Amino acid sequence: MVFISISFVIFFLVFFFFYWFVFGRNLRSQNLFVLAGSYLFYAWWDWRFLSLLIGSSLLSFLLGIHIEKATNERRRRILLYLGLLQVLGALLIFKYLDFFIVSFVDAFSIFDITTDIRTINLILPVGISFYTFRIISYLLDINSGKIKPTADWVVFFSYVSFFPSLISGPIDRAQALIPQLEKKRTFDYDQATDGMRQILWGLFKKIVVADNCVNVVDEIFDNYLNVPASSLLLGAFIYTIQVYADFSGYSDMAIGFSRLIGFNITRNFNFPFFSQNIAEYWRSWHISLTTWMTEYIFTPLSFSFRSYGRTGLILAILLNFILVGIWHGANWTFVLFGLLHGCYFIPLILRGTINTSKMTAKSKLLPSLVELRNISVTFALVVLTNIIFRAESIFQAFSYFSRMFSPSLFAGTYTYPRLLLIIALFLSVEWLGRGQQYAIAGLALSWPRTARWAFYTVVIMLIFVIGGKQHQFIYFQF
Amino acid sequence: MERTEIAERIRTIISLVVKHDNFEMTDELTANDVAGWDSLSHVGIIVGIEAAFNIKFKLKDLNGMNTMGNIIELIRSKIE
Repeated sequence: MVFISISFVIFFLVFFFFYWFVFGRNLRSQNLFVLAGSYLFYAWWDWRFLSLLIGSSLLSFLLGIHIEKATNERRRRILLYLGLLQVLGALLIFKYLDFFIVSFVDAFSIFDITTDIRTINLILPVGISFYTFRIISYLLDINSGKIKPTADWVVFFSYVSFFPSLISGPIDRAQALIPQLEKKRTFDYDQATDGMRQILWGLFKKIVVADNCVNVVDEIFDNYLNVPASSLLLGAFIYTIQVYADFSGYSDMAIGFSRLIGFNITRNFNFPFFSQNIAEYWRSWHISLTTWMTEYIFTPLSFSFRSYGRTGLILAILLNFILVGIWHGANWTFVLFGLLHGCYFIPLILRGTINTSKMTAKSKLLPSLVELRNISVTFALVVLTNIIFRAESIFQAFSYFSRMFSPSLFAGTYTYPRLLLIIALFLSVEWLGRGQQYAIAGLALSWPRTARWAFYTVVIMLIFVIGGKQHQFIYFQF
Repeated sequence: MERTEIAERIRTIISLVVKHDNFEMTDELTANDVAGWDSLSHVGIIVGIEAAFNIKFKLKDLNGMNTMGNIIELIRSKIE
């Protein structure tokens, strides 16, 4: 059940009604209903993997309690490793096993050794990368004493499977979501209307921007051997806009639906394309993943390597970003994607400017020339690296690059005036609303009611009139 | 070593790493209250504290370093 479907609209309307008007009387029934709704939502995708979700939740719930109770360090560690093993094991088998097998066979074939190991071709359970990370953070936070395990299984199971963010994040941490599940939610009109506004903007991003980019991007990437170099550059640019509009659009909808049922979940994007360096970019792109990786991967690594000074910091960043890359999928392209992004941090570390972060063109309409240069360089790095992210293999990525960096880069190009106009409109609204939680959060709020509703009507009409043919969300495959 | 002296030394280290001193040293101070004190600068601050007080932190010590009061107490426990 995707957010943009009749089945989800019906599901959510029924859920919303029963949640507030029937089950809203006490906390227990509210949470049981959230859990039931989440499992129905997940089973709609693929009921076969519901048992995996429930099994992981049950084991992690019990282990969480026993990790806390463990009186000696050794027992505590064993229980923690058991918990990590069961969730990471499932992720490795479903998501990465075939990749390891193929890489293993390829490595041996270099030495003319043929191996008869076959791939197992398992279907990737939807949302597994997201809920696995929720469970891991829960267990690690209990082990480090940051949180206490919840004794209420309904709360924990609902935390793992919370339907607005189950399939594609944001990856909420236990310390943010569990306290909200432990407190009865009451309907807040302002929170609900703000949620609806964010859903509207998410729909615009997905249907008007991302879905209109799909065909152009596919056309260019699928025929990259036959299109001029300038079109290849344009294709990389449009793909970058597509990924952002698609994923941040999904996140906006997830946050909006959560707000409609009384939850505030983690923000996932903070206008990353206006960042002035790559560190700022990653602080504002897929925030829930980068903060997760920072806490559980980068911080322990950089702490362990601290005696090596800047070299240690660089090494920690490279390893961290390789893992960020691999998180996206089992392909060497993602490894290279992560490694390159890690490398982009090196000049910042060497110059000592990694911690400088300032809002671009604060309280001004336009950026200064220096800010514009910084934004353009950062954005160009992101666009070029996304060619690797989009490519099916490293060979294809380099082939794309070699064709793109040719004399025809400055020749004529296929132009897509309608799409480029949509992108220009989209980026302009994003720029004007960059100081807010999402671009249209404050837009039209101070306008008279009629003008405000006229604005929302125009956005809705744009979604219906110029929306592209519906395509699956990109991040569902991760 | 007096608490105030420890706090003053930490203040100098943080100012050097984040390149400003626009913060007030209270026991309740957290990284979120100091602009530029993020995951990247955190390690620099830890290294500075270790050198200044001639101590070594363990990885699990990081979890307890969530307020300035806790950091000062942790340092005191290591230098005593």
